Amino acid sequence: MEKKNLVNEFSKGLFQNNPAFVQALGMCPTLATTTSAKNGLGMGLATLSVLVLSNIVISAIRKLVPEKIRIPVYIIIIAGFVTMIDMVMHGFTYELWKTLGIFIPLIVVNCIILGRAEAFASKNGIFPSILDGLGMGIGFTLALTLLGSIRELFGAGTVFGITVWGDAFNVFIMILPAGAFLTMGLLSGLFNWIGISRAEREKQRAKLAKQQAKAGESA
Amino acid sequence: MKVFLIFLSAILVNNFVLQRFLGICPFLGVSKKIDTAVGMSLAVIFVMLLASVITWMLYGLLALLGLEFLKTIVFILVIAVLVQFVEIVLKKTSPGLYEALGIFLPLITTNCAILGLALLNIQNQYSLLETVFHSLGAGVGFGLALVLFAGIREQLELADVPKPFEGLAGALITAGLLSMAFSGFSGMIKL
Amino acid sequence: MGSYFKTGLVLMAFSIVVGLMLSVVYLVTSDPIASAELDAKLKAIKTVLTDPQSGKLLISEDKIPQDMEQLNQIAWKDSGEADLFHAQKTQSFVSSPAYRFTLEDGRTAYILSGGAPGYGGNVVIMASFVQSPSGYGLFQVETLDYSGETPGLGANISLEKSRERFAQIPYSGLQAGVRVDRDAGVNPTKDPATRADARKNGVVIISDIMTGATITPRAVANTIDTMFAYLQAQLEGE
Repeated sequence: MEKKNLVNEFSKGLFQNNPAFVQALGMCPTLATTTSAKNGLGMGLATLSVLVLSNIVISAIRKLVPEKIRIPVYIIIIAGFVTMIDMVMHGFTYELWKTLGIFIPLIVVNCIILGRAEAFASKNGIFPSILDGLGMGIGFTLALTLLGSIRELFGAGTVFGITVWGDAFNVFIMILPAGAFLTMGLLSGLFNWIGISRAEREKQRAKLAKQQAKAGESA
Repeated sequence: MKVFLIFLSAILVNNFVLQRFLGICPFLGVSKKIDTAVGMSLAVIFVMLLASVITWMLYGLLALLGLEFLKTIVFILVIAVLVQFVEIVLKKTSPGLYEALGIFLPLITTNCAILGLALLNIQNQYSLLETVFHSLGAGVGFGLALVLFAGIREQLELADVPKPFEGLAGALITAGLLSMAFSGFSGMIKL
Repeated sequence: MGSYFKTGLVLMAFSIVVGLMLSVVYLVTSDPIASAELDAKLKAIKTVLTDPQSGKLLISEDKIPQDMEQLNQIAWKDSGEADLFHAQKTQSFVSSPAYRFTLEDGRTAYILSGGAPGYGGNVVIMASFVQSPSGYGLFQVETLDYSGETPGLGANISLEKSRERFAQIPYSGLQAGVRVDRDAGVNPTKDPATRADARKNGVVIISDIMTGATITPRAVANTIDTMFAYLQAQLEGE
């Protein structure tokens, strides 16, 4: 039972409770940095790092922080890690650092990180917090990479720089801000549709099962 | 003259929400009714103005001490304190608005538009006057986008929208169309 | 009052701890950061000294500086933190330092960095000016900073095909003043020979590949003009 719960902590962030598509958190970087698959991936990984690191620390000190000032303390810790990641990227991944620019320090105000700190890390042990952070972070990264790939594919005809169809089917708007909103909206609608049809099917199945049970009783 | 152009461009050409993607969370969250949108916008303009000026001055101090790398922490703390302050003032002077804004008021702290604005002021190396006008423009632009969107969403509530697009998805597509409209302002100002 | 004080203390304690940790990371990363910045600069210098058509380097590989010291040795003009030159009208600037190289074939080349306001911030480029019988001509440009430009639009200025349009502007073109085709009233063309002719008059044909993004190439054109003005003034003085 313990093991299953731990796996669940990790996996819930991937699909069921995906921070970008389901919870609609962290919208700013989602729309701004997904002009290409590589940028989306880079941003996702940077956010993932901060999320896991801050979850670890916040979980570790959760008993030491006075209730009243927990939000400012979390913010200080998150801002600290963001600054660290910014410096590390500046030194070791210069091109990506330059491209992501101002959105790296903006990871501080990514509602996902503060949200998970408040909702989970402040109330759970270190290991579950790591899993939660990993799950949410990877879910977020997947969302960003997906969005980035779609926008890059339709905007420039390439994915991760590999030419798929060059200039053939380009929809110019994709790379512009408007395209980000539209793509996100359509993907969101798609996710909703999948959720709705799944719920419909569940309902049908339950109805059928009930009918069969009734038929079984009367038989 | 230049400050006026900075002001205008922050509202239309480089609109913080629709072109720069800053402030999306409150944009999508508080834009369901026009009056909350207006209230939120005013609060944001106020915080943006104060935060920009204070962070601009603090950055000068940090640069003097060679501690520029602490700017993210310092800026976000200043913003958090300012928002707390606005909350207290609002609770005393306008409890109705305070109730209406609810959870979104403390969330102004995590409004990327404010931190983004502070960072942009530094990145563009604006003078104090330019910073003030930039912040006013950013706030007004944010408010403009927010109120426009709220107006549209109020109408959207009454329309017959396909089920998968109810709520967030439809809002995003609408925002996309609004963003396209604002793209038309592109190139209008030759800074 | 007492509880506020205690709260403040705890907050300050956390800030100090985080601040200290940050200082450690800062010290650890300042070397990699300096070398990353240096590498980017050296790479740019190499790019602007490479012939865009043949891909050949104009100077021998070992003449390219490998570190900060060697870089400072070939500096021609240095004004520290401040810009070397600032043009009021277009708000473009030439930044410090400027470098001078002697090419394999004996000619002199000057490498200048500078920029002008683009769509959302400054567009910064590095350009090489190579000696020719009539005067100095623009050889090649490399983009250093275009983070304020819209990805897919203005940001395409960094692509090779965009920069190639600015490369090889002869002295006559620089004298006439560099401008983009939109501003010069010239129609775009797919013929490279026509484009080369246009460059002789300082006209850079770029609107066919940078549709809807005139601001960014215009910033580059203004920067080149300012760099050329600065270069002329300095050479006359020498």
